Amino acid sequence: MKEGSKATPLNLCPYCTAAFDTFEELKTHVVSVHKTEPLPKPAGWIALTVNGQVHELKVEPEWTLYQVIHDRLGLMGVKMFCDRGACGSCTVIMDGRPILACMSLAIECDGKHIQTAEGIAEAKHPLVESYIKHHTMQCGYCTPGFITTAKALLDRNPDPTVEEVMEALGGNLCRCGTYPQHPKAVLEAAQTLREEGSK
Amino acid sequence: MRTFAHFNARTVDEVVSILRRYGERAHVIAGGTDLLGKMKDELLPKYPEALVNIKSIPGLEYIREDHGTLQIGALTRLEDIAADPLVRGKYNALAEATRRAASPHLREMGTLGGNICQDIRCWYYRHPDNRFPCLRKGGGRCYAMNGENRYHSIFGANVEQGCYAVHPSDTAPALIALNAKVKTSRRTLAVEDLFEVRVGKTTVLDSDEIVTAFEVPTPAKATKSSFVKFALRKTIDFPIVNCAAMIASEGGRVTAARVCLNAVYVKPYRATKAEEFMAGQPINEANAEAAGDAVVSDAKPLQHNGYMVQIAKVMVKRAILACRSEAPPAQT
Ligand SMILES: Cc1cc2nc3c(=O)[nH]c(=O)nc-3n(C[C@H](O)[C@H](O)[C@H](O)COP(=O)(O)OP(=O)(O)OC[C@H]3O[C@@H](n4cnc5c(N)ncnc54)[C@H](O)[C@@H]3O)c2cc1C
Ligand code: SF4
Ligand code: FES
Ligand code: FES
Repeated sequence: MKEGSKATPLNLCPYCTAAFDTFEELKTHVVSVHKTEPLPKPAGWIALTVNGQVHELKVEPEWTLYQVIHDRLGLMGVKMFCDRGACGSCTVIMDGRPILACMSLAIECDGKHIQTAEGIAEAKHPLVESYIKHHTMQCGYCTPGFITTAKALLDRNPDPTVEEVMEALGGNLCRCGTYPQHPKAVLEAAQTLREEGSK
Repeated sequence: MRTFAHFNARTVDEVVSILRRYGERAHVIAGGTDLLGKMKDELLPKYPEALVNIKSIPGLEYIREDHGTLQIGALTRLEDIAADPLVRGKYNALAEATRRAASPHLREMGTLGGNICQDIRCWYYRHPDNRFPCLRKGGGRCYAMNGENRYHSIFGANVEQGCYAVHPSDTAPALIALNAKVKTSRRTLAVEDLFEVRVGKTTVLDSDEIVTAFEVPTPAKATKSSFVKFALRKTIDFPIVNCAAMIASEGGRVTAARVCLNAVYVKPYRATKAEEFMAGQPINEANAEAAGDAVVSDAKPLQHNGYMVQIAKVMVKRAILACRSEAPPAQT
């Protein structure tokens, strides 16, 4: 997919059309001159909370959530195999749901809370260790998508069966064929989580 | 993707007025799982000028029982329907159809409205960059009729158009078997009457009309419903053939049956011959088999899809058998 223009967007005040170089300056202007807060977002501006951090940015209508998270925010854990919704490697958790960043328009994600593989690793989730322990990757390209999907499953269902794990991971493809290892890694992480919880 | 104008609509009226302004040049976007793939591949002769997001409309995502009906908002995600205890309890065909559609991620994103309004998957039609400007795109011929047609219609083409592309939805046959209605921004009609094969269209919806809800009558006590699907992989894959049934019985005999196949014809295909055959009969292997035979007796397969006839027959049989009162849940 082609990307839209990379020029820094002009930040126009919605009340008096004064222009500013950065969104922060525009905000300061609106609060001090027009005495209003919060600032109504100009068209195309979205706020995303990614791994707990708020990002405000201007997006073009055709930018996917993948493009924003990977290309703009630089979070490389979200991967792309197919760009058509058929492989799960671009999975992120949005408001609790494992969804495909390649099939979501960023402009429709204003106000959403998103978790990526980076956030899962930073939070020291046991999935990461158990994935390493069980050699759940060969090339590793699909792995963040699997882990993110598995995290969404464990958030909802802390004690899944093998079948439930396999069903939840059914939309994630692995070209290297690591499939048999995933249920083992996920079940062990689930057990670790339950033990940590009961301490 | 090339750019387009984008609107986050707040109300159904707003959607209608934007669609009216753009005519055929705008599309609504719900989960986007079908539409965005089409746009990335530059599939259509005319790239949309505008998208109207309907996920931003509050109150179109719900599942509730109301006066002997199940009401489901058009934006309700397939995954939420599949997991809903109410749906799983009394509307098994719909619960199974939503559970078996696409992949877990796509079910978290895909809506019931979008699933019913999704476009065909004929691989000539879907080839990137409008490589095959076929009949269904307003072009001169069908490439599948004498080409690779192993996933195409076994019950003939649409008469005026000569198009053999099957309808790919998993939820459509379930809603039709359950005798559901669809509510749009301007009318209510039977789901069965929603589908229409036209250039660039799969439904009778006008260019400024959207689906807002579904209404499923609560089945009577001695009624069971089922959904079975045959696909190459258990998840992600579209159905090669699927089938839903709803059967009411009394004293061990069928009093009323509704059976619907999909992915075998240009629209969901009511298996009326199976329904007629089962009337007054007990549900057993022999009868279910004969009902399947009756349905495919007038199949007209193309060069490469003869195998689908056998699958359709077995899907009808299994869907019927799964409606036995003592039936274990169907395993396909
Ligand atoms: C890899 C892959 C596998 C799939 N497998 C299956 C499968 O096995 N079974 C199956 O049934 N489907 C399958 N799908 C198809 C489909 O994307 C999903 O099932 C989903 O339900 C579509 O819903 P959506 O909300 O994402 O639709 P969108 O993409 O948002 O919309 C689809 C179409 O419907 C229109 N539309 C959406 N909502 C409305 C409305 N309320 N009123 C009027 N028009 C509307 C849109 O304009 C668009 O043309 C698959 C898709 C992919 C990418
Ligand atoms: S079957 Fe329909 S969609 Fe496919 S090539 Fe023929 S006319 Fe086009
Ligand atoms: S890259 Fe998003 S599903 Fe394959
Ligand atoms: S480890 Fe290589 S694709 Fe999965």
